[in-house]
Amino acid sequence: MEAPLKYIFDSIQYLKPEVAVSIFLAILVTVDLVLGKKNKQVLPYIALAGLVITGYFVTQQFGTSAFASVQHNIGNFGLIAVDSFGNYFKLIIILSSIFIVLFSISSIEIKQVFDRHGEYYSLIFGMMLGMMLMVSSADLILIYLSIELVSLSSYVLAGFTKQSLRNSEASLKYIIYGGTASGIMLFGISILYGIMGTTNLYAINTILQNGAFQPLALIISCILIFTGFGFKISAAPFHFWTPDVYEGAPIAITAYLSIASKAAGFALLIRFIKVTFIQTIGEDGYWQLLGVIDWKSFLIMISILTMTLGNFSALWQDNLKRMLAYSSIAHAGYMLLGLAVFSDQGVMAILIYFLIYLFMNLGAFFVVMLIANKIGSEEIDEYDGIAYKTPLLAVSLAVFLISLTGLPPTAGFIAKLYLFIALVDAKMIAVAIIALLNTVVSLYYYIRVLKHMFLTKPKVEGERITIGIADTVVLLAMLIPIFLFGLYFTPIVNFAKNSIALLGF
Amino acid sequence: MTLYDIIFYLFALVTISSAYLVVTVRNIVYSAFSLLFTLFGIAGLYALLGADFVAIVQLIVYVGGILILMIFGVMLTNKITNVQIKTGVFQILPATIGVGIFGGFLLAVLLNTNWLNLNVKDSPATTFQLGQLLMNEWVLPFELLGIVLLIALLGAASIARK
Repeated sequence: MEAPLKYIFDSIQYLKPEVAVSIFLAILVTVDLVLGKKNKQVLPYIALAGLVITGYFVTQQFGTSAFASVQHNIGNFGLIAVDSFGNYFKLIIILSSIFIVLFSISSIEIKQVFDRHGEYYSLIFGMMLGMMLMVSSADLILIYLSIELVSLSSYVLAGFTKQSLRNSEASLKYIIYGGTASGIMLFGISILYGIMGTTNLYAINTILQNGAFQPLALIISCILIFTGFGFKISAAPFHFWTPDVYEGAPIAITAYLSIASKAAGFALLIRFIKVTFIQTIGEDGYWQLLGVIDWKSFLIMISILTMTLGNFSALWQDNLKRMLAYSSIAHAGYMLLGLAVFSDQGVMAILIYFLIYLFMNLGAFFVVMLIANKIGSEEIDEYDGIAYKTPLLAVSLAVFLISLTGLPPTAGFIAKLYLFIALVDAKMIAVAIIALLNTVVSLYYYIRVLKHMFLTKPKVEGERITIGIADTVVLLAMLIPIFLFGLYFTPIVNFAKNSIALLGF
Repeated sequence: MTLYDIIFYLFALVTISSAYLVVTVRNIVYSAFSLLFTLFGIAGLYALLGADFVAIVQLIVYVGGILILMIFGVMLTNKITNVQIKTGVFQILPATIGVGIFGGFLLAVLLNTNWLNLNVKDSPATTFQLGQLLMNEWVLPFELLGIVLLIALLGAASIARK
């Protein structure tokens, strides 16, 4: 007979961040209930405190490499793998959550639904818990559960304000696409279980290493599972929900979906492919995958399709949110190339890319939100001559967009540089050239916004747009890293280099 | 064909045919009643697979709880029986091609795969083992499910509120 609660006590030391998030989720719900209608402005600060404490626990965990929630009957593999790779992504998720809470404080859209703030922050914490488990789970059942937790919260958040038809449409489209995608993924998982007899990725890898596999069933099940992951990272051809949902959702939530939810999806995809299909890692850092599925061609195909579709559709978007949605699809395409290299260098490029992408994409969304707060629109025509009304915002948006294109001296250049180095190093020159051409295409639609802001005369003379001190500080917190990491990037490169290790490999 | 096979095909037939009715029938009340038979058929399949606890939960929660609530909702909604639901078929050609290819692949997988076989015909009752597993090795997903349900409740309340 085992000691009572043994499994909880054994793993709780590795699950401190997750426990902290759950506790703060409960605190948020309770405080909202107790305080009643009047004192809701305290909620975002509780949320911030929770995020800082969770972040502290994650940084404490750096360097640990262990299984949590160990399953003794299947070779001591666990449900959760705690490692530097997962912690890096957890840090990205927490950092973006902090920014999202700050966004929400100054967002008019969110302020209008003041009486539902309790639900809002609780749902954000629920989503965060799901994402933190997504990046570290090593078991298909837990993967499915955490994806479902993220999805459920984001369906509600996408339609949270209920102010416009567009908003409800976003939520409904998201739930229909998302429900289908997770149903298909679950079907794939069930086929995989039917041939493997286990849901643990490490255990599946052991079975595959022994050479016992059935290619047809394995390929079909992996494609079905990829549907679920591809939906989360909005890779083509599973990207159709992205523009509509991004356009309809409140901007703070759009920004959150484009960073955190995507980061969690990428971490999950990398972990799934690496842990399940790896054979050996060479001296030079290149992975030798088991020759069951040609992941390389598959991923290259998907990523080229994704970035090309994203960039070319973005060309004729007149709504800035929609344009940024297509641009985020394109960025997912670039990052998938980093995985398709199948080397430690490629993963490092993805890690660097995500950290920089966090600042530039959040920044772009933040400026769009501040301007929408004042003029109530995200249409590109409304941005005519906005530089004369608000020089700071216009210049910041210009910097973020130039960084998204990937031009020096911004950090976006460093992100792309490391990605291309990884591609060239792996002798994937043709793919690198396609990606480069895509970047050139993206230049057009990013610069088009600058033309509207700086060169076009406004149709009607509006009054100046001013922003408060707090908003300026948040803006600078995203603007400064863009230049800082663009010129002095050794620290983040080293940080990423130290974080590529997955548990066991 | 053994008796076991006959019972299996019977339940499968009930499930599939009533599921077909759910999506094709124009009257929403008939649709809800067809769903009753679908969920019941699935409970039967669970029982045949030796998952006795899951079968009972399926009966109590889905057939007994959720579906009755749904039918109540349908019945209490004013004039709902007169609403004509759109059940038309669009894009028949691409859909047929897509379903055909996907179905072909699934059939190939089904026939060519060496599935793991468990002897379910005389398996022991699972309730006790399930309880043990959920409180020991699988306690983390179990607790997580609690949070998923909490989030679902919060979300539902948020959507329903004005």
